[in-house]
Amino acid sequence: MTAEEELRRKQERFAYYMDLVGHDVLNNNQAVLGYLELMLTNPDIDKTTREYALKAITGVRISTALVENIKRSLATRGLDPASLRPINLLKALLQAERDLKQFFPSRKISVTLEPKVDEAYAVGNTVAQELLLHAMVNLARLDREDKVEMKVRIKEQQCKGRTCWVVTIEDVNAELPASVQNKDIEEVYMQDVSTSAKLTGMLFASMIASRLGGEFHVKALQGSDGKMGTAFTLALRKANKP
Amino acid sequence: MTSVLIVDDEMFIVELYRDILQLRGYKVVGTAFDGEEALKKYSEAANKPDVVIMDHRMPVMNGVDATREIVRLNPRQKVIFVSADVMVEKEAREAGAVDFLPKPFRMDDLIEKMERLSAK
Repeated sequence: MTAEEELRRKQERFAYYMDLVGHDVLNNNQAVLGYLELMLTNPDIDKTTREYALKAITGVRISTALVENIKRSLATRGLDPASLRPINLLKALLQAERDLKQFFPSRKISVTLEPKVDEAYAVGNTVAQELLLHAMVNLARLDREDKVEMKVRIKEQQCKGRTCWVVTIEDVNAELPASVQNKDIEEVYMQDVSTSAKLTGMLFASMIASRLGGEFHVKALQGSDGKMGTAFTLALRKANKP
Repeated sequence: MTSVLIVDDEMFIVELYRDILQLRGYKVVGTAFDGEEALKKYSEAANKPDVVIMDHRMPVMNGVDATREIVRLNPRQKVIFVSADVMVEKEAREAGAVDFLPKPFRMDDLIEKMERLSAK
């Protein structure tokens, strides 16, 4: 067996086990989510218990997102970006904002698009929407305030020799761990296991964006009151309106 | 009252669906833990359930095959397909499922689909 064949077999075996484990995790998440929601239907539970249940729901959703990112990363191996349907990034951002609020039902979240553009179609299918949501979820996790405020900018620019839409999502209260600041995502994962576990799924988001012909980056910002904020940037190839 | 047959190989998932549906006023008339058992119970039922909630990955017979057989017996049977495999949606719909829910879903999503099917 050649080295290439051996590698392919290992990749297939990894994908197989990941699929089995992912399926079981999602099944278990269904049970936890379902019973937490059932608990919340009881009008007699006290405020603190309700808050705990809402926070537990956030944990379940993040666990689900992690599994789905890994599965999506495996599914996008060898993907031809040209085969994907264009996605309207403005609609995708609105949907990601709605989904984000379901991730964190106990927090006040606002997302502001500035400045507005009329339309922005990019290569990416619904996978691009998941990447936008992924960035927002990670910002909300890094932000320790109950009230989370994010700003989104979208502009056209050149990337990898093509015209791209670049979406920047930032939160000046989302403090990026010092070991991650201004480093390549893959580098962080290879060097710092404890931090990489906190920023669940970022490596996969980066891999998926790359397979769509785009890029996914994170960087630290100078936030309010001397705090450091965080910005995620997703660049996707511009597409024509379908 | 809308009647339901629940098919899933995980006991705790079957119990969850039963708890949710009963709380919202639906009548769970049966449960099955694989596709073959579901098909047997469905065939033998004098009164067919209004809705079948069907999982996919199960031993003996999977959800797509069980759905296909149930819809062959009764083309008007409403089957809601529920699975952690989003890739199987197309196959499930081709087999005759009228709706698809990816796991994990919110309780309200299941109830909304049940209400829509009950109204038809």
